[in-house]
Amino acid sequence: MLEKIVKWARVKSPWILHFNTGACNACDIEIVATLTPKFDLERFGAQLKGTPRHADIILCSGPVTRQIKDRLKRIYEQTPEPKYIVAVGSCACSGGVFDGCYSVMGGIDTTIPVDAYIPGCPVRPEAIIDGMVKLLERIEREEEADAVAEAAVEGGVGNE
Amino acid sequence: MDLVLKLSYMLIFPGFLFLVLYAMACEWVDRKLYARFQNRVGPPWFQPLADFIKLLAKEEIVPEAADKIMFRALPVVALAAVLTSFLYIPVWDITAFHSFPADLVVVFYLLTIPTLAFFLAGWHSTSLFAALGSLRTLTQLFAYEVPLLIVLMGPALLAGTWTISEITAFFVANPGLLAVNLLGFCVALVAIQGKLERVPFDIAEAETEIVGGPFTEFSGRLLAITRLVVDIEMVVLAALISAVFLGGSFGLGPVWGFLLFLLKTLLIVGLLALFKSVVARLRLEQMMKFCWKYLAPVALFQLFINILVKAFLV
Repeated sequence: MLEKIVKWARVKSPWILHFNTGACNACDIEIVATLTPKFDLERFGAQLKGTPRHADIILCSGPVTRQIKDRLKRIYEQTPEPKYIVAVGSCACSGGVFDGCYSVMGGIDTTIPVDAYIPGCPVRPEAIIDGMVKLLERIEREEEADAVAEAAVEGGVGNE
Repeated sequence: MDLVLKLSYMLIFPGFLFLVLYAMACEWVDRKLYARFQNRVGPPWFQPLADFIKLLAKEEIVPEAADKIMFRALPVVALAAVLTSFLYIPVWDITAFHSFPADLVVVFYLLTIPTLAFFLAGWHSTSLFAALGSLRTLTQLFAYEVPLLIVLMGPALLAGTWTISEITAFFVANPGLLAVNLLGFCVALVAIQGKLERVPFDIAEAETEIVGGPFTEFSGRLLAITRLVVDIEMVVLAALISAVFLGGSFGLGPVWGFLLFLLKTLLIVGLLALFKSVVARLRLEQMMKFCWKYLAPVALFQLFINILVKAFLV
């Protein structure tokens, strides 16, 4: 019961940290546009936070450059659990056209684990909202699946 | 039996439990109105509750270099201060749960403690942003605190007492005199906005410049408590303003008095939300200039009016 309430709260209140890992700024503009009154992410309880300590979801835009790699890791470690990483834009998903460049590591998943990928160059605000909602749905389902699995294990123990 | 009643007043209604839930409701009203003023849909009604539960269930990180005891204790100190201050403010009745001579000063003092606690919390988290934010918090304190105290002096002077319950009783007996303090009410609303560190006085938190102000390093449960403190402080200040400037519950008995309390606090929260949505953030020195050059003289002028009224009319 308590776990269910916590999961509900977690899905209903995703706070966002926006982190530019080396993007050309196009995706950043689109992320900021997503947070404007026109698209109103607060409908889903999302708020933009300035510090990783407050954040649940980190929106990373751009390929990971060698310069930003350590900073990205540090931001990731500064964020309290549970945390979810979203790669926003083609470059963040795979490195995009910068893949293989001498100064670029590749996509976000070369450095930290990623929970959702939103492709696009740049991504549209609608795509970001869609990706966020899908991530939240997945969190809900996944944790339900965990609960079912736990119940199954408990049931199995009971049967023996 | 008496003890049980007193404990239930303090812990359940209208003390701790009710106050927490009502503070969350007020936060929702504030955020929803803010969203509607910006032509947005705004958060659903359970949003503050969901935020609170989520933060409670999140990992709590205390920075390595921070003073661990102070870092953990200060949000709780702030919470205790605002919860205590509510006991001296009338809710459904003219008299409060506990009342003694000059409790207005005590409430005012108790409501300053969260600001100081946040300053110390920011200072002790040893982060650059938190230190900057907490210094701004303290600097701001000197800007809004003086006009607010001067303006609270007005009704106190008119009623000839520093006791909140007696001020309310005085205005219930002479409702016409409420109009005298209209200017003071407006000054108090502006000063409260500063006290709650909301736009245009959110200089201390300014997330676009110094990430999160004094709360930069706070996460999980501690952040949940600090957010709750700000919400409760808003309700307590609204209740205080309602008791001092609007005649509180007007002695209408428990049910109507309570409904009037809700109506008046929600009205004040609505006015604060309106104020928040029509202005933009000031710089620190602009705020100092505004508070000392305009707000404090207006507050003094209000006090002058009160003295004249007291001398010739009452």
